[in-house]
Amino acid sequence: MTDAMLLDSAERIFRDHADKALWDQAEEGAFPAELWQALVDNGFAAMALPDSGFELADVFALLKLAGQYAAPVPLAEALLAARWLGDSESLAAVGFADGHGGATAVPWGRQADRVLVLPALAPLTDALQLADLAGEQPLAVLTVDRAAVIAGKNMAGEPRDQVTGAQAGTVTAETPYALLALARAVQMAGCLNQVLQLALDYAGERAQFGRAISKFQAIQHMLAVAAAEVAAAQRASDSAVAALGTARFLPDLASAKARVGEAAGLVAEIAHQVHGAMGFTHEHQLHHFTRRLWAWRDEYGHEAEWQGLLGAEIVNLGADQAWGFIATPA
Amino acid sequence: MLQFDQVRLPAEAEALRARVRAFLSANDQYLTHRNSDFSSGHVPAFSALLGEQGWIGMTWPKAYGGSERSFFERYVVTEELLAAGAPVSAHWIADRQSGPLLLRFGTPAQRETYVPRIAAGKAFFSIGMSEPNSGSDLASVRTRAEVDGDGYRINGTKLWSTDAHRNHFMIALVRTEAPSDNRHAGLSQLIIDLRNDDVDVRPIRNIAGCEDFNEVVFKDTYVPRDRLVGEPGNGWAQVTSELGYERSGPERFLSAYRVFVELIRAVGPNPGAEQRRAIGRLASHFMTLRRMSISVAGMLDRGRDVVVEAALVKELGNNFEKLVPEVARLTLPSQGAAAFQAAYTDTQLSSPSFTLRGGTREILRGVIARGLGLR
Repeated sequence: MTDAMLLDSAERIFRDHADKALWDQAEEGAFPAELWQALVDNGFAAMALPDSGFELADVFALLKLAGQYAAPVPLAEALLAARWLGDSESLAAVGFADGHGGATAVPWGRQADRVLVLPALAPLTDALQLADLAGEQPLAVLTVDRAAVIAGKNMAGEPRDQVTGAQAGTVTAETPYALLALARAVQMAGCLNQVLQLALDYAGERAQFGRAISKFQAIQHMLAVAAAEVAAAQRASDSAVAALGTARFLPDLASAKARVGEAAGLVAEIAHQVHGAMGFTHEHQLHHFTRRLWAWRDEYGHEAEWQGLLGAEIVNLGADQAWGFIATPA
Repeated sequence: MLQFDQVRLPAEAEALRARVRAFLSANDQYLTHRNSDFSSGHVPAFSALLGEQGWIGMTWPKAYGGSERSFFERYVVTEELLAAGAPVSAHWIADRQSGPLLLRFGTPAQRETYVPRIAAGKAFFSIGMSEPNSGSDLASVRTRAEVDGDGYRINGTKLWSTDAHRNHFMIALVRTEAPSDNRHAGLSQLIIDLRNDDVDVRPIRNIAGCEDFNEVVFKDTYVPRDRLVGEPGNGWAQVTSELGYERSGPERFLSAYRVFVELIRAVGPNPGAEQRRAIGRLASHFMTLRRMSISVAGMLDRGRDVVVEAALVKELGNNFEKLVPEVARLTLPSQGAAAFQAAYTDTQLSSPSFTLRGGTREILRGVIARGLGLR
């Protein structure tokens, strides 16, 4: 299957399933089993396995599309966890060590059989360097004790659970924190595409003072600014994906997660302003995307944390080497 | 949705980068006043050196003194010069706008007369578009050129012509027919010899105390007919294509780059958390804008129309150029290092021009809005 066919087929699945009713149900805690099964049946759950025949870049193209449709399934964590476990036999997830042998902030932890536990990096401390995120890391594997799961959610209403369970060995993962951060960056980039499109469509449909509000210069300028931010987010996240597997990956990722996060805040603000009170209602679909942007920009390191890591890298090189750093190709 | 594809600079462009860096370090006597603003630093001797290297008119035919290199190679030379703070303003407009215009619309004689001298870094051009009552609304220009014998008699005033008091030529947009219902009709472009024609060039002091831009007054100024560029009446189509060439280059986001360098130097090896974040934030923008600009260079290389994409890069880049000194200023103590203060002061005082020159921010947002189908 070519990359384009693959993405077409994924897009069809997302379009057929992800709608207002599904977002609301998922937020109430009902796992979108049909959507997930469709993804499994079409081979997407196994896509990140080392022998799947796909590149990691293909996985991130899929995740970007999932972000564009706000697909309410834990695709990023499930795919990467499967990669690190070496199998996709059942839904696996990723969380952070809670200091008591369990894991926190586990996307759909209540649904997972196994959870991989990342060391608690967040908040990224001042002593941390980009180099600390490089290389392989051992992750503990927990067999989830379903009865002991404490349900939680992020700002978008996506499940982020507290999980305990029996230790079941460890697996080795390459740059896990960075790959998860990249997942959020590309999900945001996809989501930003959709938010811009919603704002453009709404501005064209909504009439006030006898004409579509898109005809007002003030609105046109807001949307032009939003389009520029969305384009920057695409370029930044695509660059980080293109740098996968190179020495340039961590700097490009840090740049991308920071830059996309900045765009996310700005574009969400503009989109809501364009939508007026309609977009502030729960009934409208806009918030399913904007709340995800607000939540995702904080997950796996927010802008300031990644900016700090990138800044430290440049400061270490010194003022006269900064340009060489910026102009280094992936 | 606007698409900025992933573009990797080809190997020959990266190889050229090393040559440019070696050239700059061998000629660092020209880097005494480092400033990444393309319109600061008018040094004819440096421009002539670049001409010798073949780094002006890089994409032009060899027959006219060019090097027939790719847009990517030109991109690399441009960004290396700007990042190093080299003085590039003498040849800038000739290289970016006047040369391409003459190659596209000029007569064979004009191409032979001017283009090789531009490529050699020896003929410098200014823009003659704006007027006292024509800024963003360029089609409203009133400077008249009337046929008089075998030439034109010009009356009117051009404004904001950067370096007209230092350069050799100006390409002026003039009205060759009376205004009609079609605002874009009846305009033409004429080459003015700023040193030999009867024109009055009056420098205008800017807020930085510098005299860079000018008022250029024509009073019955005569120029021979062979100074007409392109077809009479085709001026509007010509200037819009001229403006379209250059809105996405590295000069649209690197103007404040030296402030960033001096910020890093002033911060030193043991920065605080806020300082690291400020540097990282600015770096993430530099890195992203650079990728976008390279992506547009790729579109130019494929001969694509880039009007909207270029406007978008300029919109993002110019706003960022204003953000850099602001973030840097607040990241350091108010009585900071002298080198930082010098770079910051230069840039802050130039910063109002960043979102005016080459199309104001408001005009560009209109261009983007049109690209989005909103008008």
